[in-house]
This record gives sequence, structure tokens and C-alpha cells, in this order.
Amino acid sequence: MQQSWLLIVASFCFGLLIAVTSAALSPRIRQNEINKRNRMVAVLLPEAKDFIPLDEQIEIQSPRGRMEKVEIYKAMSSAKECVGWSFEAVGSGFADKIKLVIALDKNFEKIAGFDVLLSNETPGFGDQIKYDYYRDQFKGAPAGELKLVTVGERSKIDSEIVAISGATISSEAVVEIMSNSITKVKEQMLKKGIIGNDKQ
Amino acid sequence: MTNSNVKTARYWQTLLAGLWRENPVFRLLLGMCPTLAVTAAVKPALTMGCCVIFVLICSNIIVSLMRNLLKPHLRILMFTLTIATFVTIADLFLKAFVPRMSETLGPYVPLIIVNCIIICRAEACASKNPLVVSVIDALGMGVGFTVTLCVLAAIRELLSTGKIFEAQLMPDAFVPWAAMSMPVGAFITLGLMLGLVNIVAGRKA
Repeated sequence: MQQSWLLIVASFCFGLLIAVTSAALSPRIRQNEINKRNRMVAVLLPEAKDFIPLDEQIEIQSPRGRMEKVEIYKAMSSAKECVGWSFEAVGSGFADKIKLVIALDKNFEKIAGFDVLLSNETPGFGDQIKYDYYRDQFKGAPAGELKLVTVGERSKIDSEIVAISGATISSEAVVEIMSNSITKVKEQMLKKGIIGNDKQ
Repeated sequence: MTNSNVKTARYWQTLLAGLWRENPVFRLLLGMCPTLAVTAAVKPALTMGCCVIFVLICSNIIVSLMRNLLKPHLRILMFTLTIATFVTIADLFLKAFVPRMSETLGPYVPLIIVNCIIICRAEACASKNPLVVSVIDALGMGVGFTVTLCVLAAIRELLSTGKIFEAQLMPDAFVPWAAMSMPVGAFITLGLMLGLVNIVAGRKA
């Protein structure tokens, strides 16, 4: 092979260049991701000042049947009291995966809300899962099974979520991700005794 | 004309070629994927354009420097390797310094690797010309691409939201045209622009 050495040398040099850049920038990139999530949760749990990852391993079964590890964050107020919980959940949407960050109150009884970390839903339709009028229905809803309805009152806070017209699949996807992850995480947390009647 | 005048004239010609005569989007019809995908708003279009300028200049420099070492059978492999390296670096920088923009652009930044404009300039210009000409060519092509993207994006953003760069430009009575921010808007706008450019170019010739 003529001049294969050029390819080998070039690969090595380019690889080194990428490695150096990546090493220099990766702490910043990781920090950006954490900041983004914290910013979103801080809006949902206004009292939260600090987010501490939970030591216990929580694993839940995804709709496809795989066991997935969930990182749970405990939201602490400035007085060092637990004010809520948050975690990330993924599911399939209309066009692509939808990744949500979900926040709950300190007893895991009510949903504090959710925000969209990643989605690629149709602009103008499914995209509206990010809008307040849809998201506000979840604020204060019971942390358990949620149901999607096509007709109903959005201002009434209960386990019935009114779909976005023209975007039933995206609305359904969010409800499914929320229901599935919240019930399973809650079950695990109760089993491990992290939350319960005697715990704050 | 003296020798240096000829040189300067050639540099100008190379620089301007990318802007109009050989505009990568309108005249060469290269790089259609980012042109259609990231022109829903001006900001992502501008970011994409800057990334392409960076990658184009870096890859043209490297290719031009090693043009005498390149053997035909290794040529494409070396081009791809060079381009992929700089695209990865650009992607990392976007993630670190403009994370929101990086999310908006999503997979389209890594896809610059397969952007035909860059490999076309490596093959057509950098692998045959000295360093200075290659850099000027990259700059001209990159700026031409960026300007085109921004024009398309400005039209689409204005019609789909009534705003450009968050500044309200349309009167209150304007009804946002959501279709313009979707793929259909990209195809229609690009098609009409191409037609317009052809008419103008035809008149000139």
C-alpha cells in the first residue's frame, strides 16, 4: 500500500486533536447539561436551591421491558429541607424520542410539573407539549396513573389530561411517560423506604 | 498588469466566485440538507454557516498543505478524515459554549461531515492550489453559503413568526404562517429563490 503511513500519521494526529479538545471542554459540557436540568426543576419547585443525587439505585422497567437506571435528585431548600424530587424520563413521541424532566412534591403524592429536555415533535402541533397551557394541567395532579382525554376542562386539576387538538400522539406520549415513570419510581422508592408516612 | 496585480485579481475572483458566480447553494446546488433543515430561523442558520466556514477553512488548509503527498486512492479517505476531525471539534465547541443552539441544530452539526460543499472544495480547489488561494476560496464559499442560508432563514422566520432575531417586524394583524417553519416552507422558499436567481442570472448573461 502506497503511502499508508500518511493515513496512519494523520489519524493519530487528528485523534489526538479531538482528544485534547474533548478533555478540555467536557467538564463544561457536563455542567451545561446539569445547569439546564436544574434551571427547569427550579421553575417547577420554586423553593428548591440545591439538588442532591440520591445514593440508592432506582431501576424501573421501560415500556419495552428493559431495566433502566433512573437518577433521582432530591431538591433541597435553602433551609436544607427536602422540598421535592426530580428525575428524567424518556419515551417515544411522534417523530423522535421525548425526554422529560419530572418534578414531584416531597411526599411523592402530587406532580409539581414537567419540562421537555429533548423532543422533535411537529412544530405548531405536537410541539405544544412545551406550552404552558398543556403543562399546567400536570401541576398538582396526583402522582400515579394519568389518563388522556380529548374533551374536558383543562383548568380542572386531576388525573385527566386534556390532549392538544391535532396532536393526540404527542399528548399521549407525554402522559404515558409521566404515568409509567412516576408509578414505577414511586413503587421503588416506597419499597426502599426513601419516602413513606414516617419520612419527610 | 504586473505579476502582483494578476495575483490580487485572481484572489478577488476566487473570493467573489463563492458569493455569486459559483454560489454553493444557488449555483452549484450543494449542501441542500442543511439548507433545507436549519433555515427555520436566522440564528441557527447563522450558527450553521459559521461552523461550515470554520470547517471549510481548516480542511482546506490541511488538504492544501498535504496536496503533494496525496495519492489518488487515499484522497477521499484523507478528505473525510480531515473534515470529520474539524466537525467534531466544532460540535464540541457549540456544546460547551452555546448549548441551546447546539440542541436546536441537533444532528445537523455532525452532518456537516457529509456536506458536499466541503469535500467539493477540498477536491476542486485545495488539492490543486497553494495555501493562500485555498483559504480565500474557503472563505468565499463559506460566506456565500452563510449569506444564502441567512436570507432563506430570514424569509421563513418572518413569515412563520412575524419576527427576526426576536424583533417584531410584521404588523399585529399578521397571522403567523406555521407551514413556513416546517419542511414544506423550506422547499417552497428554496424553489422560489432558485427560480429568482436563475432569472437574474439569465438576464445578466
